[in-house]
Amino acid sequence: MTWQLRRALAAMVLGAAVAGSLQAQVAGGLQASGQERDFLSRVRRLTVEGRRAGEGYWSPDGRRLVFQSEREPGNPFYQIYALDLTTGETTRLSPGYGKTTCAFFRPGSDQILFASTHHDPRSKALQQEELDFRASGQERRYAWDYDPEFEIYVAAEKTGALTRLTHARGYDAEASYSPDGQWIVFSSMRDAYSRPLTAAEQKQLEIDPSYFGEIYIMRADGSGQTRLTHAAGYDGGPFFSPDGTRIVWRRFDEQGLIANVWTMKPDGTDARQVTDFESMSWAPYIHPSGQYILFASNKLGFENFEVFMVDVEGRKEPVRVTYSDGFDGLPVPSPDGARLAWTSSRGGGREGQIFLAEWNHRAAVDALRRSPDRQN
Amino acid sequence: MAKHLRVVVVLALALAAATPILAQTAVASGTRPHVELLASDRLEGRQAGSQGERLAADYVAAQLARVGARPVPGRPDMFAPFEFTAGSRDGGSQIVVTRGPAAKTFSARDQVQALSFSDDAEVSGPAVFAGYGLVVPGSQNFAYDSYAGLDVKDKIVIVLRYFPEDADQQTRAILARYSDLRYKAMAARQRGARAMLVVTGPRSPNAGETIPMTFDTALAGSGIPAASIGREVLDNLLFPGGQALEEVQKALDTGNPHVTFPALEELNILLKTVVVRERQTSRNIIAYLPATTPIGGVDKPWVALGAHYDHLGRGSGGSSLASAQDRSAVHYGADDNASGTSAVLALAEALAGQPRRRSIVFTLWAAEEIGLVGSAAFVAAPPIPLDQIAAYINFDMVGRMQDNRLIVQATGTSPVWTRLLERVNVAAGFDLTVQADPYLPTDSASFNQAGVVTLNFTTGSHADYHKPSDTADKINYEDLDRLVDMAEALVRLVSDADEAPPFTKVDQPASRGSIAGVRVTTGTIPDYATEVKGLLLGGVTGGGPAERAGLMKGDVIVEIAGQTIANIYDYTYALELLKADQPVKVVYVRNGERRETTLTPVVRR
Repeated sequence: MTWQLRRALAAMVLGAAVAGSLQAQVAGGLQASGQERDFLSRVRRLTVEGRRAGEGYWSPDGRRLVFQSEREPGNPFYQIYALDLTTGETTRLSPGYGKTTCAFFRPGSDQILFASTHHDPRSKALQQEELDFRASGQERRYAWDYDPEFEIYVAAEKTGALTRLTHARGYDAEASYSPDGQWIVFSSMRDAYSRPLTAAEQKQLEIDPSYFGEIYIMRADGSGQTRLTHAAGYDGGPFFSPDGTRIVWRRFDEQGLIANVWTMKPDGTDARQVTDFESMSWAPYIHPSGQYILFASNKLGFENFEVFMVDVEGRKEPVRVTYSDGFDGLPVPSPDGARLAWTSSRGGGREGQIFLAEWNHRAAVDALRRSPDRQN
Repeated sequence: MAKHLRVVVVLALALAAATPILAQTAVASGTRPHVELLASDRLEGRQAGSQGERLAADYVAAQLARVGARPVPGRPDMFAPFEFTAGSRDGGSQIVVTRGPAAKTFSARDQVQALSFSDDAEVSGPAVFAGYGLVVPGSQNFAYDSYAGLDVKDKIVIVLRYFPEDADQQTRAILARYSDLRYKAMAARQRGARAMLVVTGPRSPNAGETIPMTFDTALAGSGIPAASIGREVLDNLLFPGGQALEEVQKALDTGNPHVTFPALEELNILLKTVVVRERQTSRNIIAYLPATTPIGGVDKPWVALGAHYDHLGRGSGGSSLASAQDRSAVHYGADDNASGTSAVLALAEALAGQPRRRSIVFTLWAAEEIGLVGSAAFVAAPPIPLDQIAAYINFDMVGRMQDNRLIVQATGTSPVWTRLLERVNVAAGFDLTVQADPYLPTDSASFNQAGVVTLNFTTGSHADYHKPSDTADKINYEDLDRLVDMAEALVRLVSDADEAPPFTKVDQPASRGSIAGVRVTTGTIPDYATEVKGLLLGGVTGGGPAERAGLMKGDVIVEIAGQTIANIYDYTYALELLKADQPVKVVYVRNGERRETTLTPVVRR
């Protein structure tokens, strides 16, 4: 989720001088790298093809990973692929044109959801526009436009049938299923298009539509779409806890500079803030043990995202997981809790790819137990 | 003592308990025996043309025969011999300076020495001084022509070595690229000069010395006699009336090419150049496993796998990085490239038992270390048509994997590579770095030049690179065997595909520094594996300038002498501008902290 953030920031991260971010790391009180091995072993790059890849989510049996990647000539936007971790074969699940993002396996079925704009008749023209823009050699500082055409679709693998689940104008994306496969939580900016806006809001929409992002829930067939959050600022990236009793997501402040991890009940009540780094803490995902949340934060330097973990209640000081320059984020543990997939720019180049490592759950629990209680 | 004894007993018990399990599960390494043999004392470092190299060739051919590989069609055996220049020396060059009735002859090597690319000739003519002898092509939008307004036709041109010492950095950066002596000789020849004499100016490093004859594998000369001359010849040659060369050089060193200098005295020079090039023979090993399905149905029916099996012998070829006292020791070359050779042999063994739609040819190269000579000989006279080769996959220095990091290079040569690598790496699980650039200092470059799709596997450079300490006990066999497994999966995908991988021509990066312009050494060993912003050090040379400056493995150099360093090319480029014995500021990052130090480069000889 919130890969648009990643995109915008990664460009800055990787384009900026090394020194700045590294100095910022020192200010954050870091030690030498190598501590990454406390939690991660056999680190390897999983995706190789194409310009960029990210948002890798596991199938319930842990044998496949669905992700977004820009890897086919002619389309400069992400498409959705599933990688079979036994054979190494990759299959495209999305239509191949338009923009797509944020896929998720539906437990107990052959269905995979993702957000797509392919119904937009301008899709191919927009692809060409972006390719021409790139060919012109210009750099886009802020790449993601929260295309209001994004709608949530579900693809059935066996039949290839594609069903549209949302129809509201405004970005609908960042969706994931409940563990029983019956519910979908997602982020939507429909609020900006469904009511008259004040002049200030209208201006806000032009500058940054993500301000209107809120968390919604619906049944797996798309019925019963219900809004769960009502705070100004971008709410997005929701996932269910492994037992289905809570939703974890990240909430930005109104300026869009500070984000924190929150949890709530699936009916939107009992919202609790988990992190308080006063930086961008986002992309949370709860470990299958239910004990802790993995997330990404730029606490150590505006341009350097690292993966952290924190107990689900947020009582402890979060513990740093990754140690590498540039971007590390979007951590997703495997269903058995023994591996971690995440998106990183550590392979070189400007863009992220998906990495995979063995995850030392026991060491993670130990480290969190030893971590001091959070002040305040 | 008692305490230690107890530990030993406990250990012994633990081992005894573990042994049966190990015996069941341990699989013998497919590469280790090959590395240990190739990097043994008996093969003496496998220098091109040596007895050690011949023994290595025999071993490699026997191993290929053992797994059922055969000579390629039309050849009686697996050996493909070729001739090469193993070295060159001055065979008696001479210079005679005639001033009026007086003639002075010099024949000592510290006074006259042919350049390694010189033609053999005896020429005479009047002398003419042409400054630094530099010509920057018009396309560079930078005017510098040492020959402007100068008539050198049928004359003997005298030029200064290197490039203007005091010019601003940008000027030096441009001129450095055109200061290679071969390039200067070409410029002189094109303007009709009969010969070129090079002097190392009093304001340059190695002042007044002749230039050691470097190893130059290029077969032919440069079409012009060329020699360096020493101080005594100089004293008899340049500028009458006591005008010191130093003054002239000082004026030129500002970067202004249009310095007027007094005409040389009326004198005639007779130059005789004699370069003795020692010709030797080495052998490539070429054998194949035929396709198991009838030919036809696949596009380009061959896949080639290769590695060079030669190394540096006892370090006499000039590319040893050992300290002076170790240089004549055997350079075992366990990683470089007994490891790659072993990988190819292990692949041959693994693939021999598999069905395949394309024939797989195994090519083990001799004389790589002296300039990719073996693979170039293959490409020049291919026993298999090059356009029938679907891909050439090379293995060079694959035995020192650290932290699961594998580098695969030249992926830009075909759009299929990243997809195939992604696929096979899912099972292999390496922390993979892919690099598109096919212009590599290894044999795959010979194939890329010929339009063949290539790929190169490597685990990167290290502190033992080109030193006697590159030994078999330091090889990471477990990961080398894993690498072979991954390569096998990749080769099978290529060999069984209907379509051969399409070839993509990768443009050669233009902004590269040339090593010819680098006159100093900093004693840094770059880590090519990790792409960071800056130059990551894989190590530093013992006692070298970098070590003295306090730099160490893991440091990332981000700035040197005011030049920011984003990558290895920037670094090479910056090196051109450094002067020996002149300290420069180095900014580097260690453990996330930005630091500064002062580094004093030394002359590269």
